[in-house]
Amino acid sequence: MKTASVNMEAPPGNKEKRASGLYTEYKRRRKILLKTQGTVFGVIGLLALWSLWGTGFNLLSIITGTYDMFVFMFTDLFPPDLTAIGSLIGPALDTLYMSYVGMVISVVFSLVLGILAAENLTPHVIIAKVSRAITAFLRSVPAVVWAIILVAGIGLGPLTGTIAIGLSGIGILGKAYAEVLEGMDKNQIEGVRATGAGWFQVMGQAVWPQFKAGFVSWSLYKLDMNIREAAILGLVGAGGLGYYLQSSISLFQYQTAAMAILMIFALILLVEFITAKLRERII
Amino acid sequence: MKQSKMAKIEKKKFRNTLYAVLAFAFFIFSMLQLNIVPERLIQSADRLAYVFGGMFPPVLNEPLDVFGAAVESIQVAILGTIIGVIVSFVLAVFAARNLAPSKTLSFAIKSFAGFVRAVPALIWALLFIVAVGLGPTPGILALAINSIGMLVKVYAEALEEIDMGVVEALESAGASKLHVIMQGVIPSMLSAFIAWSLFRLDVNIRYSAILGVVGAGGIGWELVKAAQMSRYDEALMVTMVIFLMVMSAEVISEFMKKRANSATAQAVK
Repeated sequence: MKTASVNMEAPPGNKEKRASGLYTEYKRRRKILLKTQGTVFGVIGLLALWSLWGTGFNLLSIITGTYDMFVFMFTDLFPPDLTAIGSLIGPALDTLYMSYVGMVISVVFSLVLGILAAENLTPHVIIAKVSRAITAFLRSVPAVVWAIILVAGIGLGPLTGTIAIGLSGIGILGKAYAEVLEGMDKNQIEGVRATGAGWFQVMGQAVWPQFKAGFVSWSLYKLDMNIREAAILGLVGAGGLGYYLQSSISLFQYQTAAMAILMIFALILLVEFITAKLRERII
Repeated sequence: MKQSKMAKIEKKKFRNTLYAVLAFAFFIFSMLQLNIVPERLIQSADRLAYVFGGMFPPVLNEPLDVFGAAVESIQVAILGTIIGVIVSFVLAVFAARNLAPSKTLSFAIKSFAGFVRAVPALIWALLFIVAVGLGPTPGILALAINSIGMLVKVYAEALEEIDMGVVEALESAGASKLHVIMQGVIPSMLSAFIAWSLFRLDVNIRYSAILGVVGAGGIGWELVKAAQMSRYDEALMVTMVIFLMVMSAEVISEFMKKRANSATAQAVK
């Protein structure tokens, strides 16, 4: 619509004819535009109706739900129970350790999978495909699902959470590393290889310097994400702050729960701050 | 001059080595704090082998229940996204610095979004369950509010990047505020808007698959049920359904993004 009106302002020569041609063109485009818009909104509308019918969601509950939430927040959650801080520090540290160890696990495995999956470094195309499929599978199953399965196997506690975080991290980091590796400058690798360097020398002298920045920033990003995940994994019994939150809610100790939420909030912000600083300093 | 540069590089190298050593030390320390020691790993390996052995072959005892729950999860994600997108867009117009009527309002909305964003979706679901009861409704509301936290930020950033010349031209032609937004603002940020909204749908489908864990409807509950009753073969089947859901959401949103981009390119041409 905008382009059509701009074109109409500059008709040299045969004014009348040109303008009418532009007008039909404008009408044609407008028709296409309206048709697309109609289809898009129609599909969205149908999906919305189908979902409303399926879930039995009452649109009014957007308002009543928000209202209920405010009431709940101000009558039950506030004020947070400050005396609970003492007993929360242990779980908070656990959450931190879980996400860190989980990150290290996923970094180690993702490095291997990433190198195998990167087109320019992989020993064979089939190995690359397999490695990609593994990371895609691990990425598409949420950490909480891993935690539920592992709780059945290993039992409650932080070990479960750590492994769950590590597993789902491999999915994300494996893909990210492979992409960073594929974006490398080929000539540098060729150059080092041409001097007769072995595999480790190529990795150290040509690959690592190009890979370092991407490696550090993706790994730190994963640490950020892990804190969020570690905080909620406790809800299924995998240790850390979430476990504390879940138990205090089921005991109706909402003010303690509020303190746990504040603690999660603070932990997320703290780790985000630290990783931002580290990223600046290392790169 | 060259000497100092060398010294600088040496210093940086030393510092990075120091970081690596510290990182490793912290890793060992964390392992010890969490009591992850080799003997415990070996102990749990047996148990894990038993659980994974019990998973094969995956079965589906109540196919209708599981697929119904999967559909419900998708519906929860769709509604959560639609509500989130609509509310976020309205809030983002008031939060973007170049369109907001007042600086204070913009700041207030942005900090609200920041707070909402920092609390994970599952915790919102937990709180909404206490506030409004079990079922899909708290799930939808939790996803909507969590989407708002993210979308307000990215929409506002997209709005702040638009060409203000278009807005001023419309204003000087006498267009009202609503007209300016419909004719000038939305076309300018449309592709960012579509891309982020589709991305959020993708994220929401991921979340909706696990919302059931805390009792907010959907397929997550089926998984918890199967795992608690030690029916590992069924748990694996549910996991595979979740995998399919998330995977297809990713593929579809990727495809839609491409379609939308090519459509925009065609319209501009």
